[in-house]
Amino acid sequence: MASGPYNYSYIFKYIIIGDMGVGKSCLLHQFTEKKFMADCPHTIGVEFGTRIIEVSGQKIKLQIWDTAGQERFRAVTRSYYRGAAGALMVYDITRRSTYNHLSSWLTDARNLTNPNTVIFLIGNKCDLEAQRDVTYEEAKQFAEENGLLFLEASAKTGEHVEEAFLDTAKKIYQNIQDGSLDLNAAESGVQHKPAAPRGNQLNTDQPPNKEGCPC
Amino acid sequence: MSAGTATGTGYGLHADVSSASEHESAAVGQHETAQENVQSANPLSRKLNKILDIRLENDKDILEALKVLSAFFSQNTLRSRRNLRGDIERRSLAISEDFAEAFEKVKGGLDSIHSDVESMRSSCQEMTGRLKAAREQTSDLISKTTDLHKESQQLDMRANVTDAFLEKFQLTTNEVMALRGPRNGQLLQEFFAALERVKQIHNDCKILLRTNQQTAGLEIMESMALHEETAYERLYRWIQGECRGLTGDTVEISALHCEAVAALQDRTVLFRYTLDEFGTARRSAMVRGFIEALTRGGPGGTPRPIELHCHEPLRYVGDMFAWLHQTTASEKEHIQGFLRLATSQSRNSDIEDVLGHITEGVCRPLKVRVEQVIVADPGPVLLYRLTNLLKFYTHTISQFLGKEAMLLSCLEEQQELCQKVFFNALTVLASKLVDKVELPPADLGPTPTLTQNLALLREILMSHDSSVVPLDARHSDFVKILGCVLDPLLQMCSLSASRLNPCDMAAYMINCLYAMQSCLALYEFTDQRLEMIAAQISAHQDTLVNEQASYVLSTVSLIQVYSIAQQHKPSEGPLSLVHGMDTTALRSAMVRFDTYLSSPDSSILSQCHLINSPVLREEITKRGTELVCGAYQLLFDSITNPANGYQEPKSIVIRTPDQVRALLL
Repeated sequence: MASGPYNYSYIFKYIIIGDMGVGKSCLLHQFTEKKFMADCPHTIGVEFGTRIIEVSGQKIKLQIWDTAGQERFRAVTRSYYRGAAGALMVYDITRRSTYNHLSSWLTDARNLTNPNTVIFLIGNKCDLEAQRDVTYEEAKQFAEENGLLFLEASAKTGEHVEEAFLDTAKKIYQNIQDGSLDLNAAESGVQHKPAAPRGNQLNTDQPPNKEGCPC
Repeated sequence: MSAGTATGTGYGLHADVSSASEHESAAVGQHETAQENVQSANPLSRKLNKILDIRLENDKDILEALKVLSAFFSQNTLRSRRNLRGDIERRSLAISEDFAEAFEKVKGGLDSIHSDVESMRSSCQEMTGRLKAAREQTSDLISKTTDLHKESQQLDMRANVTDAFLEKFQLTTNEVMALRGPRNGQLLQEFFAALERVKQIHNDCKILLRTNQQTAGLEIMESMALHEETAYERLYRWIQGECRGLTGDTVEISALHCEAVAALQDRTVLFRYTLDEFGTARRSAMVRGFIEALTRGGPGGTPRPIELHCHEPLRYVGDMFAWLHQTTASEKEHIQGFLRLATSQSRNSDIEDVLGHITEGVCRPLKVRVEQVIVADPGPVLLYRLTNLLKFYTHTISQFLGKEAMLLSCLEEQQELCQKVFFNALTVLASKLVDKVELPPADLGPTPTLTQNLALLREILMSHDSSVVPLDARHSDFVKILGCVLDPLLQMCSLSASRLNPCDMAAYMINCLYAMQSCLALYEFTDQRLEMIAAQISAHQDTLVNEQASYVLSTVSLIQVYSIAQQHKPSEGPLSLVHGMDTTALRSAMVRFDTYLSSPDSSILSQCHLINSPVLREEITKRGTELVCGAYQLLFDSITNPANGYQEPKSIVIRTPDQVRALLL
């Protein structure tokens, strides 16, 4: 098989959530383009980006869904949690209100995703140390209490951005290795590309539903 | 002895002696010619001289000879001395015989050599002759060989050229094998190189056609075209089979797939068929995935199947669309992967086409479900929010699809349907309003129907406010919604007010309009409506203000007086002479006006009290009072005017208008 951007063995689906203006889109942009987007417009509904990374020698394609933080899109964005293997929950370390809303985001994430979804807490804008409103220790404790991975990052400088996305993938990959994440189930948020020829796999597949089936 | 010696040496000795003497005589001759002449005259002396002159020690030959001679005899006998000469001669003879014998042998040897050489010569001659003959015979052959050699060189050259030609214009067996492929129909990487070469050769044939190798060119071209055709056919069969296998949740697109697709680009029809095949496979995969997401959900039921939420229309529809959105994005990636080596200019439109094809399958199951939700009549508010949701997703998903994609038209259809049902619901509500007109309540406040409808409108506007649809689209919606709801409401109000007296009507209308106004004021895009309502309110306000003023004037019986004074012209003579305008009448009216002044609030119209808005209520009484003040001013001016012939006007109108104004306002 030729090397290239299309050669990957897994697809992981991520969702980025958090209040308006905490820098979700900027984090995504920094991760996919390695650039900081200074005048980031409000996200309309949901947008998405992809990047291929490598974890334990496996190429993994991340399909990242970046949701709008505005309240009026809440109903829309809720529908995107389904089938996410990783959820990046973002707050702004310079605005306490965004931190205070985390529990409601977490509730959403827990209710709407599957139990194995890896949730990663990101305190964004850590370059603005002078305006800090939430301490690292406090957020760290919150993360530990809720079993979340945690990092403070900066979409502006790029600090820890890569790590947040990669650590999530590592954790998901670990879950797969453990067997706690069932790849065969639909909407696990992970798609595996088997290396073996797909002939035998085909036979086990149920015959495709005819399009006319309204069920 | 000396004589013997002299003879013994023989010949040479003798000659030597004579030559020496001659030599000597020649040398001496010049100086001693005379003496010599004497001596030579005597042979003996001459001989003696000669002997004496011989220097034996210098003559090695003689010494040698003597040495040999000395070995001849062992005894010096007479006999020996006498026979010396004979002996020497015998010996000499013997030696000569030896010589002769030896030479005889040499001669024999030389003779045999000679004969040998002679025979060699003859054989050589023979051979030369033969060679000459042979040469004559072979010269033909040689020239023939030379010719042949040249020919062979030419042929070699030709062979090289032909090889080069074949290498350039024919496929190797390996390549042919690669093109035909193994029996199991597998496609190998070499196939593409071979196909590339076939194309290359086909192309190179054009050069052949330009030269005078046209037949070869045409033939090769033809055979290459044939190869190409079969190769493409095989390629298509293969990719067709592969595509049919791509129906799983995960799509494994190998480099071979991509190369095959890229290669098939040269055959538009096959390329299109391939895309269709791919699209069909993915379409059925997508439909299956959709049904699974609807009915089975995630592992262990989380996330729950979408259909579990079908009692919550917004969530149900939203989940379906979110799923569609995500899957469409993934499918697009798959196509991009599939076509990643394709270079055609229409690549983007191809991707859109295929994506349209793939998403076509979910249209029906989706349509059925969404229609169910819409037709179930979840009420105008939900319908409106659904419309907005549909609009949002139509917009979101249209970013992936071409304009003529079936899914898109399906979404648009649903959106239109939803909007239609929504407006229908509103219209039905509105027509009910007009059909069954309620009587205004006793307090002249807004009717319950109005309040309910306004609450509904408020709810719609609120969801409008939190809508995900872009602003301009919302604006046009808004105008329509307001038209749908407000116009019938206004109509209803006017109808129900039609049987009331003007005062009640004005108050009732003000209350109704005010309710609408306060409902709309909170939302965007309502300015035009608000302006209209404000204008209507102020019109009704004017009515009430007039009513209020005339009510006050009539309670103090000044209404008649006021209208007469107002209409009076100076040309008609003094006002005091007009009937009813005499001093007494005026005075008693002014007394009543005074009592009004002491408690102005008691003379406010009951309708004014019923106005719900305090601001409007205040404004009406205030303007009414102003009107009363104006009327008083007119009366005061008229009475104090000397031309009107009133005696002691100051006793009639005790207070100045300013005093009245100060008291009332």
